[in-house]
Amino acid sequence: MESGIRVLLLTAALALLAALSGCASVRQWFHRAPPSASGDTADQEPPRVVEPEVARRKITVPRIHSRNIELGADYGVLSIEDFGAHPSYGLTAAYHITEDFFFQAEVGRSRAGLTSFEQLSGVQLLTESERRFTYYDLSLGYNFLPGEAFIGRGVAMTSAFYLLGGIGGTDFAGDTKFTVNFGAGYRVVPADWLALHVTVQDHVFQSSILGTTKLTNNLEARIGTTVFF
Amino acid sequence: MTPRARQWALAGLVLLAALLTPATGSAREYLQLFVTQPYLELHTGPGRGYPVFHVVPRAASVDVLFRRTDWFKVRTEHGVEGWASQADMQKTVLADGTTFHFDVGDRAGFTSHRYEMGIFAGAYGGASLVSGYASFSFNPQLALEGALGEFLGRYSNGYTGDIGLTHVIAPEWRWSPFLTLGLGEVYTEPKATLVQPTNRSEPTAYVGGGVRYYFTRRFFLRAEYKAHWVMTKRNENEEADEWKAGFAFFF
Repeated sequence: MESGIRVLLLTAALALLAALSGCASVRQWFHRAPPSASGDTADQEPPRVVEPEVARRKITVPRIHSRNIELGADYGVLSIEDFGAHPSYGLTAAYHITEDFFFQAEVGRSRAGLTSFEQLSGVQLLTESERRFTYYDLSLGYNFLPGEAFIGRGVAMTSAFYLLGGIGGTDFAGDTKFTVNFGAGYRVVPADWLALHVTVQDHVFQSSILGTTKLTNNLEARIGTTVFF
Repeated sequence: MTPRARQWALAGLVLLAALLTPATGSAREYLQLFVTQPYLELHTGPGRGYPVFHVVPRAASVDVLFRRTDWFKVRTEHGVEGWASQADMQKTVLADGTTFHFDVGDRAGFTSHRYEMGIFAGAYGGASLVSGYASFSFNPQLALEGALGEFLGRYSNGYTGDIGLTHVIAPEWRWSPFLTLGLGEVYTEPKATLVQPTNRSEPTAYVGGGVRYYFTRRFFLRAEYKAHWVMTKRNENEEADEWKAGFAFFF
């Protein structure tokens, strides 16, 4: 009985093979060479003298480097309303989205002086640590007047006058205030990787340090240098 | 200058020095492209207004030095360097004759892209909010998103951090709605006059939705609402509404 099953299975397998050999895809298993178009056979081909052993070269396409990010530092003067003008310094990072627009993040710090009230009365309104003025901005920049700047005959540098506007926070007098900033700047690009900036920016926030609540304008002028990469 | 200021200045200088090093790096291999149009125009700067000062004839090649936004700085066989526009570069071919493909900031890019970043202004639980986000898209519909925000209010200041998933319902639409879901953390610094003056950090969970509107090039506008549940250590959990709108870009 057992051998009967074996015979049956064998017959089924043979029948399957016979059926498959008619199938086009299976025929490829047995006839590996592709059918030649001319129709005549391989014995007319000249005998192969040299076996080509050249491996196909793998071409790697070099990646294009994008230089849209600008990082740098700046130094300037910040005029804190009622507290005098003092040196400020900061770090900037920018990402150029299109030739017109860029996104800029900036952190900066300065120190407030004495108000005229404090100078006259000798009373200190703020502690030393409260006089520290730290701000950050997230801004959108628009290259308003792109152009070129020339030094003499031989040197031409691309440049742009740009407008900035954005939001951020200012930590001053023991509190952090929602801050709106706007400003304008001028950028010169002496080399593909380097840019020089002159920026004037106003940081506006609501303050009630001196009794009444008012909008304060804190103007900052600074020069900076950034590196593209 | 205070010691603290000196530290900052020093840190800035070190950072700058570190940045300068790769920028002036060694020679590298550039991509070579061949001009198929009658000529390729080279501009003096990376912008539409800069004058054309040189043309590269058909079949000549250029090396692509780098890209800035939609402009390519190229060098001709004779060593002339100039800026070619994205539109012109799309008509050049590689050495093997295939077209030069690169990522373009357009409507198709808005539908399907890898990264996204943006900034918002808004309100969080009644306080003013400044917020930024970055996202990584697995496919045109699903993205992993992280957001950081600072809220500045009359009664308290603080920070929020969220991480979650965003599902864009119809990425191909110009007005494209999305849903979002995730977890976060909120750090609150109540102002001194309140009953509960201790600073606290609490976990949150949120669900929300919003809309994106494709503006131009790589830009889009985005507005969203998130309902946060703040898991407090007190008897009752709190709820905070977050509304914000801003701009974002993809790359």
